[in-house]
Amino acid sequence: MGITKADTVKLISAEGFEFVIHKEAAMISNTLKNMLSSSGGFQETELGEVRFPEISTPILEKLCQFFYYKLRYTNSAAVKNVPEFKIEPEIAIELLMASNFLDC
Amino acid sequence: MSMYVRVKHKKVTYFLHVEPSDSILEVKEKLQALSEQPVDQQRLTLVSTGQVLEDGKTLAEQKVENDAVVALQYKLPDSDQYEEIDIQKHDIDDTAEPHS
Repeated sequence: MGITKADTVKLISAEGFEFVIHKEAAMISNTLKNMLSSSGGFQETELGEVRFPEISTPILEKLCQFFYYKLRYTNSAAVKNVPEFKIEPEIAIELLMASNFLDC
Repeated sequence: MSMYVRVKHKKVTYFLHVEPSDSILEVKEKLQALSEQPVDQQRLTLVSTGQVLEDGKTLAEQKVENDAVVALQYKLPDSDQYEEIDIQKHDIDDTAEPHS
């Protein structure tokens, strides 16, 4: 139990849709990890929100799903039969570019 | 085994870590911590079936699975009515109605 706002980060898409995810999940992305953990005082670190004016909503949602997918299945020998992470062909290129940017 | 659900309200999506054995009340308590809306002001509906989720039952009992989309509604002020389900859609969404 016991999640608080401080444990989460809000990712905001180009269209202004907001995705509230655990910091633990966000840290799958090295780019976000650097933003959230640096002591250099990124504005994002203090507000707990990160805007992505260049990432559209369906792509950002897919990325968040991927973070949770990866959290769940990485290093968990207990889980057999890891399901495929489904990616619709029509978003593949945009997703690839976004994941390159986010380093995940 | 840990899973997550996507709780949607207007333009906001909460990704919540949950256990299949969690009751709906426990899920609402988690939401309260994030949205600051009291548990008794919330109603949750499983989007794929349109079923309103009951506080006393667990996620597993109501067939809420990993990655499920759950709609969040708040009670309207000074009434026992809930607002309409309002999830703004974006283009590619596996929960959206198929286009004809």
